[in-house]
Amino acid sequence: MKGLIPLLLGIFGTFTFSWVGLTVIPNLQIGHLDPQMDEEGTDVYPARKSGMTERGSHVFAANGCFYCHSRQLRPDYAASDIDRTRDLGPTPRPKWGERRSAPRDYIFDRPVLIGNMRMGPDLSNMGKAAPAEEENASPAPSASPAGPLAGTASPVPTKSPANPSASPAPAGSPSPKPANSPATSTSPVAVAAASPAPAAGAKPAPATQAVSAAPSPAGSPTVAESKTGEPSPYSAAWHHRHLYSPRSISIDSNMPAYRFLYEKRRIAGERSADALQLTGSEAPPTGWEIIPTYDANCLVAYLMSLDQSHPLKEVKGAAPAASPAPAAPGAPAPAAPPPAASPVKGGQ
Amino acid sequence: MDATEIPLKAPAISADAPTSDVEQIERALIDASTRVPVLMFYTSAIFWLLFGTLLAGFVSFKLHSPDWFSNVSFLTWGRVRPAHMNVMVYGWASMAGMGTAIWLMARLCRTVLRHPLLLVAGAGFWNFGVLLGVGGILMGDSTGYQWLEFPPYAAIVLFVAYSLIISWAVLMFRFRRGDQIYITQWYLLGAFLWFPWLYAAAQLMLFVVPVQGVMQAAVSWWFANNLLFLWFGAIGLGTAYYMIPKVIGRPVYSYHLATIGFWTYALFSSWTGMQRLVDGPFPAWMITASIAATILTIIPVATVGLNHHMTMQGYFPLMRYSPTLRFTVFGAISYTVFSALGVLISLRSVARYVNFTQASIAYSHLGLYAFFTMVIFGSMYYIVPRLVGREWRYASLIKLHFWASVYGIGLMILMLLAGGFLEGANMDNPSLAFSESTQTILPYLRGRSLSGVLLTVSHFVFAFHFGLMLFGLGRTSSVPTFLNPVETEGSEAHI
Repeated sequence: MKGLIPLLLGIFGTFTFSWVGLTVIPNLQIGHLDPQMDEEGTDVYPARKSGMTERGSHVFAANGCFYCHSRQLRPDYAASDIDRTRDLGPTPRPKWGERRSAPRDYIFDRPVLIGNMRMGPDLSNMGKAAPAEEENASPAPSASPAGPLAGTASPVPTKSPANPSASPAPAGSPSPKPANSPATSTSPVAVAAASPAPAAGAKPAPATQAVSAAPSPAGSPTVAESKTGEPSPYSAAWHHRHLYSPRSISIDSNMPAYRFLYEKRRIAGERSADALQLTGSEAPPTGWEIIPTYDANCLVAYLMSLDQSHPLKEVKGAAPAASPAPAAPGAPAPAAPPPAASPVKGGQ
Repeated sequence: MDATEIPLKAPAISADAPTSDVEQIERALIDASTRVPVLMFYTSAIFWLLFGTLLAGFVSFKLHSPDWFSNVSFLTWGRVRPAHMNVMVYGWASMAGMGTAIWLMARLCRTVLRHPLLLVAGAGFWNFGVLLGVGGILMGDSTGYQWLEFPPYAAIVLFVAYSLIISWAVLMFRFRRGDQIYITQWYLLGAFLWFPWLYAAAQLMLFVVPVQGVMQAAVSWWFANNLLFLWFGAIGLGTAYYMIPKVIGRPVYSYHLATIGFWTYALFSSWTGMQRLVDGPFPAWMITASIAATILTIIPVATVGLNHHMTMQGYFPLMRYSPTLRFTVFGAISYTVFSALGVLISLRSVARYVNFTQASIAYSHLGLYAFFTMVIFGSMYYIVPRLVGREWRYASLIKLHFWASVYGIGLMILMLLAGGFLEGANMDNPSLAFSESTQTILPYLRGRSLSGVLLTVSHFVFAFHFGLMLFGLGRTSSVPTFLNPVETEGSEAHI
């Protein structure tokens, strides 16, 4: 090659072509999406993250959770993500999701953590898998980092006659509390006021049964305490325990424990409401308790906020969010669904 | 270009042409002028290589023994892994690649290196940037974008360092002698110009004026893939185009093929990347375009592979003696394998199974290690003796380095590919629990850890040998170190 000029032009030309083609043009197409809303301007999806949830996403990124947990579901013609159910939870097990992920699901995410590896299950709809009532309390849109430690914002457990058999200060979810406590909606460690439904088959362990107060009107304390002290799967308490000691929940798990997100401290007077309920060798010595740090609470708030179940106009075939679609867990994957099932139309 | 002006022997690579004394002295002067900066790049790179290897071993073991050090925040898997990747990418591969590129540039421009201080300062800043970045990741400042995990403050330092290095390269090109621009120079010039644009574009679109939503993921994968091809790939191929003809003393088989190979490479490989996001939340055309581009990379791969093969034709036995040739040819072959695997796993029918599995790790290692790193090792075996004026002391150590690397990377890729396919097949079967798929791959991950032990041995052996050279403990001899005693006549002069 003789001249330097053609070489330089070629080098710049090929690069510009790629840069424009793969980043600039797609950015024109899907880089300026607005949340979807109905005619009245209500039912807005997705909502902007705020407070602890936002901070939780940074904890998620900083600790590299996304290297093992994707946050995207492929369409049903391309993979069996939609047919998958979670390994735990009440039967029928919660599904990974009802529809594929679309660009609009992520418009407020920064950083976007869609991941490209699954050494652990997908988390697109992690919050959706939480026990029914907790799901409503969990996104905590109004939660602000005002409380230096979320634990302090948690309601102080009050001795309730409804659960005389419960351990003095059960972890997170089992904590007895007045259901009308004002703190409920602000606390990310949403204290489970479990209804009998989600707890019915909470764990394979037969002993796991919710001891629930009679379904009385609001104001009466309800309890989601299982006899073994096992939090129901995908509740906030469960997440904390899973982060602290993954193998106490699933012996097969190869997730690292995130103990540095938890603090061991001496019980001063009353046991904290959000102290982890641990058994066996994991349990702290008497007089001590394990409590989540603020970052751990943010992380759990983030995990419980993950929910892509809201239908999107551009994704066809999405089941309404309300129908749980009881897919038989044992059913084999549909062989090869028609390929034109649900293409994403970005930019619409 | 006109066929008559295609030189069958580029001036700088005609080792078998009778070189005049003037030319000999000229070369010695050029080599001497590059000594300090290139050795500084190499020494830093090897330091990062050892550090990154230790991190890699930790990551690999922790994946199947997850309870190690779970109390220590900066040793959690999700921080050590990006630290490992970035140390290897920016610490080892980039620095070693730049060291080799600087030396090649000086030789091919036939001009002494001016202002070496610029380069030394650049290397210093670069080291500082990597240190800052790795520290940031371990302290929990990772940005969460693949291969861009360095927090912005470290990225700025890297950029300053790079601008010092590039301004030197431009200066060098300005003062080059002779009209001819050799193939290697195309690739190196491309790499030197593509990298800053790539890095700046990614930094701008992710941190300065962040794009919305999933576009961040698209930009980050576009960056990661182009870094692999346009930066590492270009330096690796350019180096191979120099080393192979140089060592065997024979010109490159065809300049035409080389031209086709270079331009198709620049055009197609820069459009790949989105196939790693197959069926994700993106417009389907982006992914399809990248898959098509990946398939089209068969053209540059075939032309480059054919060119190298025809150049080597009849000279393959020399790999028995020359360390440089052995490493470089292994790397060049790995480039073909790497690209073929890239085409295979980009196909939608295959991606259904391998997406989200360890197979993609095998792919990255095939590119960054089996291809790029091996080529760079080869170039170091050639360049370092010319800088320190000594020959490598132990042929046995070179052999140990080579075989431990080859078996190590081979085992790692086999384990990750086989394990990845099985993992993916289980993952695609919704009647199996998800934990089945991660359980399936555990034995393969243990095998991968074994390969990590081999690679660790190989890198420490090499570092030790390099250290001997650095401290002037190499052999003083006019004959280079051969891997095996040369018993035949004729070829040894070029090795």
